Amino acid sequence: MLIDINAYVGNWPFKQMAYTTCEALLKKMNQFGVDKAAVANMSGILYKNCQTANESLFDELNSNKTFTERLMPFAIINPTYPGWKSDFNKCVKAGIKGLRIYPQYHDYKLTDATCIELVKMARDEDLVVGLTVRMVDSRQKSWMDLDQVAGTAKSEQGLVDLLSVIKEVPDTKYFILNLANGYQLKNEDFELLMKSKVLLDTSGRSLTNMAQAIAFYGADKFAFGTHAPVLDYLTGMLRIESLRDGEASESTKELLRWRNAQKMLNL
Amino acid sequence: MVMTRREFSVGGTVSFFGLMTGISPADFKGSASQKDEFDLMKEVKKYRKIDAYATSNFSLDQLRDQIDFADRLSIEKMFVGMPMTPIAATPEEIRRINDTVIKGVKAFPDRLVGEFTINPTYKKEAIDEINRCVDNGLVGTRLYNQVKISDPWYEPIIEKLSALKMIVFMHGECQLGVGGYQMKYGVGKSPSTSTPEDFVAAANKFPDANFQFAHIGGGGDWECMCKTFEDTPNIYVDTGGSNNEENMIDFALKYLGEDRLFFGTDNSYYQSIGKVLASNLSEQQKRKLFFENYNGLLKKGGFGVN
Repeated sequence: MLIDINAYVGNWPFKQMAYTTCEALLKKMNQFGVDKAAVANMSGILYKNCQTANESLFDELNSNKTFTERLMPFAIINPTYPGWKSDFNKCVKAGIKGLRIYPQYHDYKLTDATCIELVKMARDEDLVVGLTVRMVDSRQKSWMDLDQVAGTAKSEQGLVDLLSVIKEVPDTKYFILNLANGYQLKNEDFELLMKSKVLLDTSGRSLTNMAQAIAFYGADKFAFGTHAPVLDYLTGMLRIESLRDGEASESTKELLRWRNAQKMLNL
Repeated sequence: MVMTRREFSVGGTVSFFGLMTGISPADFKGSASQKDEFDLMKEVKKYRKIDAYATSNFSLDQLRDQIDFADRLSIEKMFVGMPMTPIAATPEEIRRINDTVIKGVKAFPDRLVGEFTINPTYKKEAIDEINRCVDNGLVGTRLYNQVKISDPWYEPIIEKLSALKMIVFMHGECQLGVGGYQMKYGVGKSPSTSTPEDFVAAANKFPDANFQFAHIGGGGDWECMCKTFEDTPNIYVDTGGSNNEENMIDFALKYLGEDRLFFGTDNSYYQSIGKVLASNLSEQQKRKLFFENYNGLLKKGGFGVN
């Protein structure tokens, strides 16, 4: 049993994705034995009005019963764009399991009042809020993408940069996705993460040694994720499946494969 | 009690599953039967692997970690060199670096093959150093940014390596800016760094030499790299690096063909295997990428793995 907490359909404006539809994503899931996936329409990240991408996703999901059985919609909401509260409510009615928010692409800060309000609304609806460390590796990004480059003075954000909203709204459930630029927190930040309802997905580059990551945070802080189709479908799975018995028992692997996600998503 | 995916797909176990998890059996019934059985670690173990791009500081701790990952992921051999050398490295510094490799690989002689580096701007010393390293069992190069690979300083080096039937393996960058093309977004790369265009110039000058461009997953624009190398048959690439974008491997196959792809990690083990196994390459193409292509070139110089 596998639940992917970090999948997408849709288009990225700077590079052709290998697959863009629910049907194609489901084909990958079937090929590699994945049961369910939390999915957002990435087209919405670069749309001014991202609700149109959410609506496209809902239409596509509703076109096929298997899609609705296997794919769990996550809405992209920009809390600085007119009508976002109405969009949020429509998405809740459409059956979303959570939100993904992109402050860097939508030009606001996680601590802005409007973002905090959105995250509290998600909490009140028992939705998960997805925070993505990065969509693409900045070293090969388009010159039209975010103006930050790993290894320079204006570098990519990291896990620590996402904590401000968790501090503000600690009782919301969070997915932290595509970990890059380190994962180890210290002192108060570590304590905050440990006591919060947070799952880190296994797709990101920073997880160079999964056994060490589990030893650091505990197995109840991680869940299988692909960041597909931006990243390949199997690396996030390999981090789990290549754990030795002495590093993770079969029951621990089940937490990582699906049980942690199942609990967070109320499945 | 742990339930496998095979057990889960059997109708009789679904109710039990639901009781265990709280998930309604109806949520999964039917859909589960559409899934293929897939055992990732069985796929990992199916393919023999030579890591054509491993990097180490050769401390015993790091070497142990590297061998641990090699064991975990069925990597038989690692061709390993030291990290980036200073651009102005003197012959004495180069010898010290290579001595570290010569000594380091002896910790795991059955698993590690060392690579040597040189500074081509010291012409005589560089040739002498190649001879010394070959005598000490090192195979192939780990070249860096002292001068571009197309620079005349490299000509005697490439001739020498070609005569030894060793692969000319150099670290390169796609472009010296971000995402290729736009130098106004430069990120401080040395102007002496070799780009794909420099590799093509060198490879055309020495058609009998074999070149390995390091890690198309190393962060640069892999589409740009593969397109630049399309018509230069003596340039090979390894698919290592921390970047594991979907479609990278399929794109490389499309532009370079199935014979010019090597497996490499640059110590990003999960990504380097995950992206190949997730690709649409056939089993035989994966076999070639993981093992046969690189080993075929090694064999020409008598350095192959049995």
